[in-house]
Amino acid sequence: MQKIAIETRGLTRRFGTQLAVNSVDLRVPEAGVYGFLGPNGAGKTTTIRMLLGLIRPNAGEVRLFGESLAEHHLLLMQRVGALVETPSLYSHLTGRENLEVTRRLIGAKRELIDRALGIVKLTADAHRRVREYSLGMRQRLSLALALLNNPALLILDEPANGLDPAGIHEMRDLIRRLPTEFGITVFLSSHLLSEVEQVANHIGIIHQGKLIFQGTLADLQAERHEHLTIGATQPDKAANCLLAAGWSVLRREDGLLTVAAATRDAAASINTLLVGRQLEVFHIAMAQASLEDIFLNLTTPTEKRKAA
Amino acid sequence: MTIFRVMHAEMLKLKRTLAFRMVFVAPLLVATLQFFVLLQRHKFSADFKLWDSVFRMSLNVWAVFLMPLLITLETALLSGLEHGEKQWKHILALPVTRRSVYLVKLFTAHALIMLSTLFLLVLSFIVGLIAMRLRSELANSGWPDFVWVLKHAGMVWLASWLILAIHTWISIRWASFTVTLGAGVAGTFFALFAASAKAGKYYPWLLPVNVFSEERLPAALLLGAIGGVIAMALGCWDFVRRDVI
Repeated sequence: MQKIAIETRGLTRRFGTQLAVNSVDLRVPEAGVYGFLGPNGAGKTTTIRMLLGLIRPNAGEVRLFGESLAEHHLLLMQRVGALVETPSLYSHLTGRENLEVTRRLIGAKRELIDRALGIVKLTADAHRRVREYSLGMRQRLSLALALLNNPALLILDEPANGLDPAGIHEMRDLIRRLPTEFGITVFLSSHLLSEVEQVANHIGIIHQGKLIFQGTLADLQAERHEHLTIGATQPDKAANCLLAAGWSVLRREDGLLTVAAATRDAAASINTLLVGRQLEVFHIAMAQASLEDIFLNLTTPTEKRKAA
Repeated sequence: MTIFRVMHAEMLKLKRTLAFRMVFVAPLLVATLQFFVLLQRHKFSADFKLWDSVFRMSLNVWAVFLMPLLITLETALLSGLEHGEKQWKHILALPVTRRSVYLVKLFTAHALIMLSTLFLLVLSFIVGLIAMRLRSELANSGWPDFVWVLKHAGMVWLASWLILAIHTWISIRWASFTVTLGAGVAGTFFALFAASAKAGKYYPWLLPVNVFSEERLPAALLLGAIGGVIAMALGCWDFVRRDVI
């Protein structure tokens, strides 16, 4: 039976009247990368803060490695490293001194500093003050802080935020290496499926505080459905026309429309409908939904899709 | 013990900070003032007691004005180290107790204020020695009463526990430097008006200087120390239960 690193049951958190996290049941298997996906404001950071004991849930429970976080917070945090949102660094200190501050706080061995610097490839710049670091270097140093105590579980909240493409590539490589080379379970939050699907083997999708999907990447891919992509000269008008006729329509960024239909007859009747309304159709094709489409379908509110 | 580990880490954070430099800058201001006051004085009466004057004036100026402002600044700067890049979320996700993190912030502020007060005494002593060299009528002033000096410096520090605890709580609770400094400046400013009022003996920002008044001394020590311990406990309780958003 697969061991579980993170398990939440009915995890709920309110801010005033707003339900930020609504009865979330996470199950994160050990020694893999779990991608925690959701649009901005979906409840990812609030969930992560509850996993780390930074904020208390209104209801529900967090269990790490089978133990209750509320009861064994200090013991469990010895096995957890975290990077929450932006890097938390002392810019007047050097990279090595920043690690030394955390080392003193957790009472770790001094040699772990060199190991952490080596993993994130910052050994050569460790003597420089952090205020001289680029954003990518700061992000890597934050990761080194999270890795300092040789954690069994690493929780990363939007680690690619603000990084340039090269930085994102480096971060991705690093995250991929962690479970295989160091046996670390990685729980990674992001609002970009394209980012997560390259490193994660398990996915959880949160939307408006609710966990709407959880499973392996293969499970998510099984959700793919065939659909039609339509290109028309006036996409807004075409979308409204199809919506009025009862079709489910999603407006894509490239101006094409995605219609939940997968038969030749459907394609023919849609074409007839649009042409009959004096709209020129220049593209009509059957296609399989990408993971991005599935994600958008799961997380885009129906009203917004209709408005498209 | 966790608290020693946290204190050890806090010492390193102080490296190259304004918080540490201010420990030496603030007493230097008092000593400089003291030096010019002595130098500019035309005449010294026969019963003028150099050491009594030097230390009494230094400690009075320190207690009524500079120390409360320094406490405001130090607590703001110490907490600012964590507010700056939202370090709270990193520190409090580590295996350290929140209680120890809060107490270490307060104890560090205590240590810096004590160090600063001791530096003030050293500088005042040097100012006295220089005055003895420059003004022949002061040459036979003898030695200061070190027991009196250390006792009063200790009492000033003891009476400051309450404002140290209040300012530590404010500076940790609000990330804004303006709020923290505003509270300190307002507290010190109102002390000027509260000084002559009867209730002034209970005003937290006046407690340190009240140790120089026989009538107000007991209240200053009791309220300063006991109030400081109670305010520390309340601040710590608030910090432990607060969410880190």
